[in-house]
Amino acid sequence: MNKLLFIVLAAFLSASLWAAPETLPANLDWKTNLDDPVFASPEAKRGGRFRSFITTFPLTLRLVGPDSNGSFAGYLRANALALVDIHPDTLNPIPMLASHWAFDPDGKTVYYKLDPDVRWSDGSAVTADDYLFTIKFMRSEHIVAPWYNNYYSNVIVDVRKYDDYTIAVTGAVPKPRDELLFEYGLRPTPEHFHQLDSQWVRNFNWEIEPNTGPYQIAELRKGKYVEFDRKANWWGNNKRYLKHRFNPDHVRVKVIRDINLAYQYFAKGDLDSFGLVAPVFWHKKAQGEIYDRGWAAKIKFYNDVPQPSQGMFLNESDPLLADKRVRYAIAHASNIQKIIDTVLRGDYERLNSQYEGYGDYTNPAVLARSFDLEKANELLDEAGWTERDRRGIRQKDGKALSLRITYMSSSHNDRLVILQREALKAGIDFQLQLLDASTAFKQILEKKHQIAWMGWSGGGLSPVFWEFYHSVNAHKPQTNNITNTDNAGIDSKIEAYRAAQDKPTRVALAHELQEMIHAQGSYIPTFKVPYTREAYWRWLQLPEHFATRTSSSVIDSMGSTGGLFWIDQERKKAILEMKSDNESMDPLLIIDESWRR
Amino acid sequence: MLKLNPVTRKRLDRFKQLRRGYWSAIALACLFVLSLGAEMIASQRALLVIYEGEWHFPTYGAIIPGTQFGLDYQYETDYKTLKLTLESSGSGRVIMPPIPYGPLETDLAVGDFPPHAPSFAKQHYLGTDTSGRDVLSRIIYGFRIAMLFSLLLLVFNYLIGVSIGCLMGYWGGAFDLVFQRLIEIWSNIPFLYVIMIVASIIQPGFWTLVMIMVFFGWTSITWYMRTATYKEAAREYVMAARAIGASNTRIVFKHILPNSVSTLITFVPFSVAGGITSLTALDYLGFGLPPPTPSWGELLKQGTENLDSLWMVLSVVGAMTLILMLVTYIGEAIREAFDPRKFSYYE
Repeated sequence: MNKLLFIVLAAFLSASLWAAPETLPANLDWKTNLDDPVFASPEAKRGGRFRSFITTFPLTLRLVGPDSNGSFAGYLRANALALVDIHPDTLNPIPMLASHWAFDPDGKTVYYKLDPDVRWSDGSAVTADDYLFTIKFMRSEHIVAPWYNNYYSNVIVDVRKYDDYTIAVTGAVPKPRDELLFEYGLRPTPEHFHQLDSQWVRNFNWEIEPNTGPYQIAELRKGKYVEFDRKANWWGNNKRYLKHRFNPDHVRVKVIRDINLAYQYFAKGDLDSFGLVAPVFWHKKAQGEIYDRGWAAKIKFYNDVPQPSQGMFLNESDPLLADKRVRYAIAHASNIQKIIDTVLRGDYERLNSQYEGYGDYTNPAVLARSFDLEKANELLDEAGWTERDRRGIRQKDGKALSLRITYMSSSHNDRLVILQREALKAGIDFQLQLLDASTAFKQILEKKHQIAWMGWSGGGLSPVFWEFYHSVNAHKPQTNNITNTDNAGIDSKIEAYRAAQDKPTRVALAHELQEMIHAQGSYIPTFKVPYTREAYWRWLQLPEHFATRTSSSVIDSMGSTGGLFWIDQERKKAILEMKSDNESMDPLLIIDESWRR
Repeated sequence: MLKLNPVTRKRLDRFKQLRRGYWSAIALACLFVLSLGAEMIASQRALLVIYEGEWHFPTYGAIIPGTQFGLDYQYETDYKTLKLTLESSGSGRVIMPPIPYGPLETDLAVGDFPPHAPSFAKQHYLGTDTSGRDVLSRIIYGFRIAMLFSLLLLVFNYLIGVSIGCLMGYWGGAFDLVFQRLIEIWSNIPFLYVIMIVASIIQPGFWTLVMIMVFFGWTSITWYMRTATYKEAAREYVMAARAIGASNTRIVFKHILPNSVSTLITFVPFSVAGGITSLTALDYLGFGLPPPTPSWGELLKQGTENLDSLWMVLSVVGAMTLILMLVTYIGEAIREAFDPRKFSYYE
């Protein structure tokens, strides 16, 4: 039955895909955006080789399919551009592969005019057929990517071609326009390159797919490095938001398996930049001659992006955690501030809710519950946890108030032992369960955890509530409602939020939802890092404002906020000479707070 | 009074004459016994509190909440602060252990960043680790756990290994053949991978870890016992025992085993050392005992990751070198004492 349905559906879908070009609706209001400020520096010079590193060699060069979601995927995705992008400072849409876009009154269809200048790296033009192929490709079972299969069937439901340079994308549900543009935007897939059959995953594992971005892989030494070359006549060279960007001619990504070793490479001058977000690097390891003598600089750059929701997710299905008072008490017994003030050296900041960094959508009135033993004790006494055993742990009906915290990284040990010691003061016993990341995540998605110590990465233009807090996602495995929140009040608000289309209503609903989630108490926010910190050799030159509002990294060779720096060859020669002669110049430490919130 | 047979007594005397091994054995035994009472050496709990004329011994047993000593909290009394307040007011006395820090206690104040360097003033004699826990205290408790772990491992390994090895040698034939092949296959299973797989599914505790290690560890001793039993079983006294109708069990455990025990005993110290190093290695790799269990491997890992805070790595490497050296000296001495040739002649 299901099979039959599937065949009918597939036939229907493919019919709609390959149907003869339709006619565009009349009076579409075509939009573009060529008025927002340029964020690259016109002084940038092209040339040189930028040297960076990854800790493991990629298992594949495919963009989808098994093993395609490793750390190297970022480099590949950065060169697979989308139809439109977000301006990193103003957050307005800007043209990328599409030069214009228009909205259908149905609220779920967007029309795109493709930029005819866009070329694949092999020189052929990118046309509407490449987008139609994306849908076919992403729905194919040969790519072994269930998430994409689902997304391109149930979230993006249709792509239509009007002529070679005009397409329309239709999504499943109406959304506000900004979000429609990005969530239903897609990237083209080169039909002339792929041979989609049951061997695709294997045959295309190490094939270099033509792309649309500024760089393409030029050389590959397995286990050692990947070298990208800048396309000399890249179609984007003179586009408003791409001009003066992606300046190095070569980008070499070397495999260095140990982060401490990688730092030694940097200190020797064999890498051009190094991320220093971890307190131990910024405060201790990144010290010494190269900074004191001014050859290398350090920068701390505050950005303003949706924060990952680092925190403790309490499973409400657990009998101990079903009681709201216990959840509140745990929040009041968790001394996050002490962790920040000691092992984290005051570098991280307290996160206040799961939805920080979403601009207007973030409710500033929602503040995390602070460490307060008196309140915790009061709540627990009230909840009936009045007895204490010989270790001082609270008991009720012969059961101890003992809760397992599942976490995934041994580098969080020192944070958790502090949490554990402090909670003991309120009579709460935390058992620390360190598991390998994939096992831990499996346990959490199967909702078998008690408390999960983890974070969802933030993203998107507005907060997402449905997947985390709607009851349809509670009490069943493999959904993101890992707190098993099941609250009719929250459900109806989430539904209203999803249905609303104008921003003020959505903002108001989002604020209310954040308060309700705070009242639910099943998520305890922990840390945020509202900045990036990096060290770089001073032959790298940065634009006037260093980076953008949404830059997750200052020295970033690719990507939608990247490619802003350039390599000054003469300066490099001069600094290397200074280094060999042991001369100094003024040390440089930049702290930029323009985007600090 | 235990009556030793003359051969054993001779071996014991010989062992005592080997000064280095003998004193190492005494030192190790002392350290082990002391570590069993580690709570009285290193703990955040006081040895004795005299408060309002009443004597309290908090070291063992249930926690004493702060309210007991007139403090305003219900969690365990902070004896170090209590000591200061009682002594300044003169209303009581607190005697702390020589190292006033427990292995799990994080000694942190706002604005100070662990690890802390060794300090006599703060009584962190070997400094603290990256969570602000006392290194010396963790070394002491870690030693206790490692010793208990390797002794248990030894007992189980030898129980299984010796029984099966003896039976293989004594019965021979098909039993021997089957077990030989079985053990060959068994010992080729990469046990580290098994531990890694198990550790990724469940978090191994003390007993699970012992059991996994025993599961793969019993094989090596079987070979030696099998050979020794083969050799002994062919001797006249075994034949004589059999002639007077002794049972197989009696022959194996009463006659053959005591006579081949010298082979066994020389392996004991090295097995202990092996147990300690494998637990340390597993902890170092993160597949060992769950945090925050005090462990040498975990400390070693912290030390190697923070080479600028040398006290961590030096302390644990020092402790390990000392213990392994003692064990090796003992092993050497035992081997020499059990060697029937007192003098070796080289021609």
